[in-house]
Order: sequence, then structure tokens, then C-alpha cells
Amino acid sequence: MNRIAKLSLLILFVVSFNKVSAQTTNYQVHSLFVINIAKYSTWPSHSGEFTVTVFGKSKIYDELVKNSAGKSINNMPIKVKQVEDLSQIETPQIVYLAEGKSSSLDDVLKATAGKSIMIIAEREGLFKKGAGFSFVIMDNNTLRYDINNSELEKRQIKISKNLSALANEVL
Amino acid sequence: MIRNLVKACLFLLLPLSAQAQDLDSLMNMSAFTEESDLQKTLNQNLTVSSAKALTTRETPGIISLVTSEQIQNSGARDLIDVLRLVPGFDVAQDLSFIVGLGLRGSWANEGKVLVMMDGQPFNDLLYQGVALGNHFPVDFIERIEIIRGPGSAIYGGSAEYGVINIITKAADKQNGVHVFGSAGFHKNATGRTNVGVSIAQKSEDFDWDVALFSGDAIVSDGSFTELYGDTSNVDLGKHSYAKPLNLNIGLRVKNFKIRGMYDEFETNEPFTEVSFKNLFLDARYDFKINPKFTLTPQFKYMNQVPWQYRSTVDPEDVFEVRAQRYQASLIANYDVTRKINVNSGMIYFQDKATDRLATGYFQEKDNISFDNYAVFAEALFKHRLANATVGLRYEQNSAYGDAFVPRLALTKKIENFHFKILYSQAFRAPSIENINLRLEGEDIKPEKSQVFELELGYQFTPEMLLAINAFSQRTKNVIVYATSDIDPEGSYSNFPKTGSEGLELIYSVRQKNWYAHLTYSYSRAGTNSVDSYTVPGIDNQFVGLANHKLSLNTNFNLSSNLTFNPTFIYGGKRYAYTTLEGLDKNEDGEVDLDENGEEIWLPAISKLDPYLLVNAFLNYRNVVKGLTIGVGVYDLLNESPVIPQAYNGDYAPIPGRSREYILKVSYQLDFKK
Repeated sequence: MNRIAKLSLLILFVVSFNKVSAQTTNYQVHSLFVINIAKYSTWPSHSGEFTVTVFGKSKIYDELVKNSAGKSINNMPIKVKQVEDLSQIETPQIVYLAEGKSSSLDDVLKATAGKSIMIIAEREGLFKKGAGFSFVIMDNNTLRYDINNSELEKRQIKISKNLSALANEVL
Repeated sequence: MIRNLVKACLFLLLPLSAQAQDLDSLMNMSAFTEESDLQKTLNQNLTVSSAKALTTRETPGIISLVTSEQIQNSGARDLIDVLRLVPGFDVAQDLSFIVGLGLRGSWANEGKVLVMMDGQPFNDLLYQGVALGNHFPVDFIERIEIIRGPGSAIYGGSAEYGVINIITKAADKQNGVHVFGSAGFHKNATGRTNVGVSIAQKSEDFDWDVALFSGDAIVSDGSFTELYGDTSNVDLGKHSYAKPLNLNIGLRVKNFKIRGMYDEFETNEPFTEVSFKNLFLDARYDFKINPKFTLTPQFKYMNQVPWQYRSTVDPEDVFEVRAQRYQASLIANYDVTRKINVNSGMIYFQDKATDRLATGYFQEKDNISFDNYAVFAEALFKHRLANATVGLRYEQNSAYGDAFVPRLALTKKIENFHFKILYSQAFRAPSIENINLRLEGEDIKPEKSQVFELELGYQFTPEMLLAINAFSQRTKNVIVYATSDIDPEGSYSNFPKTGSEGLELIYSVRQKNWYAHLTYSYSRAGTNSVDSYTVPGIDNQFVGLANHKLSLNTNFNLSSNLTFNPTFIYGGKRYAYTTLEGLDKNEDGEVDLDENGEEIWLPAISKLDPYLLVNAFLNYRNVVKGLTIGVGVYDLLNESPVIPQAYNGDYAPIPGRSREYILKVSYQLDFKK
């Protein structure tokens, strides 16, 4: 078995150092969802820019920049930011919690408590832990979202019935 | 021209339309980037190794999926040609020119690999073996889902080492008429002529299908010399046959499904004519209690006359036993949540055998019967880090006692990488003949295996996948037929242990105009106490089976209609009993005599050289709409590898087939939807 174990390790080593895209997460669809969620939601006050902050490294940032160019939400031009540090989040309308920062959800919730900031989490199930939205991949590989409406209400964010009707699950 | 212009405009508009999506239309968009042709195959949902459909890279088993496209492009003559391209599989002779399966370096014929076609188990009830050769209608096959590892926790006591699940076109997607004919020609003999016709109609609430397959082939065109010299240089091109007949009928009305099948296979060797006759009836109803919960009662009936044989030299040497199985089951499938699925059920069957010659074959009686009860359960938990499968099966049999096998699996595809960590116990249930012919005064116990498997896979590009797996399988209470000085007639008994370990590798590339599947299998014999499997002086290899196999299946689209498909199969050295060594002598150096007072000769082991099979097939589709014509050659180099017996059982190897030229014609007429 020694030779078998060595060969397995070799394969593992080879695959670990070859990051080439195959069939991967389609962040273009994720970004279109984020923009549409924003479109079908209402924040208590609006002025200036509509800011979406991506917390953590994620390919969705590039897609959001691409898909929001020249577009506006409630007559506010969309601005997309990417931050790595919690202190840089400030007060955007939306915080997109990248997969790699999922464990920081509690910190993000604390940092944005009482503010009208919608938290959209990439990782499935985080709507149960306080995110306003979290994505879910269905058995047929289509993308959907779950909603934590009571959390959104606490933050005075209203969502349209259309948005709720198309959700996979609403709390 | 106008059509091309419209296509070009649509193509240019595609990225814009994606950006202009409204909420409703987003619901149908995939969460993943577009699938390549290879990914379309890899992402097919399979249920062969789990109750809940999972893709090939996440399903809890080491899986091979063979598609109808691959079969048609390669021009496979029979199931042996298909399986030679699947890692781990090999073929060897059982008795009387009956060819059975080897898997992962071990002889896997009786009760070790379950072979099903459209849900009907082809393992005979007397011995649990499956006769290969020119038996299965490869041109009718839509796909073959293969577990190259244990399947007992799901399928019971005939799937200890593997499962082959064949799904025919008519029973699956075909909606129309399909006719085919194939022929093979050796230099001095006609290798085979097979024909088939199937017709199937599909609608939302009502499907039906009928398929008929018939053929006539030879076992080999080589020259056969019996091990003990009772006959020599028999031209098998003139004196052997392998004739299949299969009638397969299915009907579905909403959730009610019924299938009937009659299968017959006749073959011979110089001294014996053998036939297998099987009748299957299968009815099931899926009660959809609610969208999450389905209850399925199912009834199966099998009526077989397997291994019916007649000696051509001794009119008294005949065997004709009818075996029947009456089976009822109830299976519940419940989606507890979107991430948790539970599948459980209970099965009862009665096996019954009748000596049609009334010779008191079953311990002085003409009948024998057993009752078998089984319960099984499996739960699948899907988590972002891994999918966990936990399963178990318990069987209680009135003849051999009980068997319990659990299994655990962790699988996950994470972007381009996937892994599978599998632990299974599996068993081979003693069959009717294992029980009937057991060693006098001894019980026969179920054979048990313990199998560890690890698979790692990585998709370097959307068109390229590398997957490698390691396995270790340990089998105890091995059920083997053996003769000895105190039991010269022979009987089945449990031997302490056998097993193997090894590696399998698959490298697949699929581009627009070509594809290639490279596989390599390595196996090494484990600790073994079955003498008849042992190669004297060699402790890492079993009789009749190769330790190394390399296969390459390539296909080139020469035009939109024309494909060229060369295949290469390299089999490593094998060992087999091919000649006689000398007279059997006792400790005092005196020659032993058998019960008739004749000298006993001992067979000698020989090394069989590695072989390379080179095959090539050219397919022209839509000669006229629906008509496909293919021509090709199998064993271009004329290596003719023999098919040796997979144990020390007094049979000389079946001579290999020589180069065979193949012609295939098929016509598909689709019904309007």
C-alpha cells in the first residue's frame, strides 16, 4: 500500500497547485441576483450613492462592477466596493458576505447592528444566523435565495412580495 | 445564410440578455458556469449507488458511466468489449466455455458482481453467476452505470464486489423505432450475426416499449485442445455457438410500472451443450404520498432454468433444474429536508428449485426452498463540507442464517476538485447450489468483505478530468467449490480469506472534435487461502487475471457525420493452467489412482504473455436520416488473447478470437412528440 499512498499524495500535490477554472460558481448570476434584490427592496433613507460592499475576496466583485455600470437603484447610482477589514465596511446599503468571510457573520451583525444595512451571504443557511439573505443552490443547480424577513424588518428594510414569493425559504 | 445571420445576432445578444435579467427569469439560471460536453456526462445524476440522485463525482461509490455514444462509436461487439475499457474489469472462463467477470484482480463471477438490465437481475439463482460473451444486446444500450466496488448495502447478497446496471434505450428515452443488425467475420468463420428491433412510445402518463434481440455467434474461431487430451485441435469456428435471445416489454401508466422479460442464452464446448433461460416479471407502483414522501410496493417473479446442460458424449450426464424467486418489497423514500434524504425498506423473497429430471438432486429430494427477509436503510446528509451517506442492510435466511453490512461514505465536489472516502462491508449470499452442494456435515456461511476506497479527482479544464482511486478489499468465509482427497466429488465450503488491493486511474479529455479516455488499473492479490486461486510461487496475483490493465478509447469526429474510434487495451501477464505437469504421486512416490483406478494427472501453471488489443471503428451517421452504418476491425494485431479459467478447475483456456471485421447497420425513426 505504500506505493499507492505515495501516488495518491502525488496526485493530491499536483491538483493542489493547478488552479485552472473548470465548471465553477457563476458569479455573474450571483451579481444579477444581488442587483435585483436591491431593486425589489426599500431602505428608509436614500441619498447619494447606492453602495454594495463585498466583504472578503470574491469574484462577485468584478461581476458586480460589470453589471452595475451605468445603473441605479432608486435613482441612486450603484457603487461597488471590496473590503477585507471589518472596520472598512462603513454604512453601505448592502454588505455581500463572501464565502471566505462566512465565519465573520456575527462580527458583521454586531458592527452593523441598528443600521439599515442588508447582509447578503454567499454561504447557504446563514439567513438562519442573522443574514437578511443567503444563497442556496437547488438540486437542478439553479440559484435561489432564503430570506430572514424579521432580521430585515429589524433593520427597517422592506422587500417586495415578488421577492418573498420567489424565495426558497422565508423566516 | 439568413439562418446563420440570425444565429450570429442571437449569439451577440446573449451576454446582453443575461445582464437584462429580471427576477423571474433568474430563477432558471444555473449557479455554475456553462457545462462542457465532458461535464454534461460527469454531472449526470445517477442512482446506482444511492437512493437520492447524485452526480458521478459526488455519488457514494467508485463509478463508471458508459454512454450509448461511446458504445456506438467504439463498435463494441458485446459487453466484454465494453467492460474491457472500464478500469478493474477483466474476463475469465468459469466452466464449459462460460465467460464470467473478474474485478480488481479477483475472480468475481458467482454472486460478486450483480448485473442488471432494466432493473432485472441477470445473476442466475442457482450459482449467482452471469454468462457473458455474445449475450447482451449492446446496440440497444442507452447507458451502463457501474459501481466498481461493493453494493451489498443497497442490492444485497449478489453485489459483494460490484454492480453493473444496464439501461436500454427503449426502456429509457427512445420514442420511436430502432432496428439494428451487426455481423463479424474472421478469416475462416463468421464470428456473429445479431439483429434487434425495438419500438417505444413515451408520453406524460403512458409509456410502452418492446424490444427483441436475437443472435448467433461462435465462442471462438480458434483451435481447442482439452487439458487432459480427450480432444485436440477442435475447430471452434465450426463447432461452437453462442446464441442469445431477449424479449423485453415494459409498460408505464402514471406511477404504475410493469416489465416482463424473457432471456435465453445457448452455448457449448466440445463435450457439453449449456443453456440459460430466464423469465422476469416486475411490477411496482410509486405512491406519492406528498412531494417529499414516496412509498413503493414492488413484486418480482423470476423463473429460470439456468446451467441446463447435456453432455454430447454421455447421454446420462444431464442437468435440468428450474429455479424460481417470488419477491415482495416495500420501499419508503423521504426527503426530510432538501439536505437530508432517508430511504428504507423491507424485502421478502422465497427461492425455490426443482429437479426437472426427478433424480433426487437436492439431498435425495427433487425440491428445495429457502425464505429470505431483508431490511435496509440509508440516509444521505448533504453539507457544504461533505455529503455523508450512512447505510445498512440486514438479511435473515432460513438456510444460511443472517448477514449484516453497514456502509459509510463521505463525498464532495468543491469547485474543480472532488473526493470520495468510502467504507463498506458487503456479502455474498450462499446461492441455492452453494447450500445444496455444501460440504457434508458443515454449514455454509455468507461470504463477507470489508472494503476501503479513496478517490481524488481534479478537473484541470472544463474538458479534462483526472481521477484516481485506491482500494483495499478483504474477503473472509470465501465460498468456493473444491475437491479433495476426502471429498473427490467436490463441494462448496467457506475458505478463510482472500482479497486484493490496488489503484485505478481515469484521465478523460473531451474536445469539440475528439475525445479520449485513458484508464489504468493495478491490483495485487491480498492474503489468500483459496488454493485454486493461487499461482504457485507467485503471491501477488491470482490465476487467470492480469495485475495491470491499460486502456485508451479515442474518438475523432472527421466530419459532422463521420467518426473514427480507435481503442487500445493492454493486459499484463497472466497465469493459467494450460498443460499437464505430471502424475499425482503420494508421499511414497507411488502414482495416485482415482476412483476408477486411473492415474491422476496434475495440471501445470503457465505464464500467459501480455497482450495488446487494437481495435478501430468507423461510423457514418445519417447516411439517410436515421441510418447509421459502421465498419471496423477488432484485434487488428491478431493477438488473440486466450480466456483462461480463473481457478484450477481442469479446463483449458478458451482460444482467443482472431482478428474480426465488424459491420453494423442501425436505423432510428423517431415518433413525433
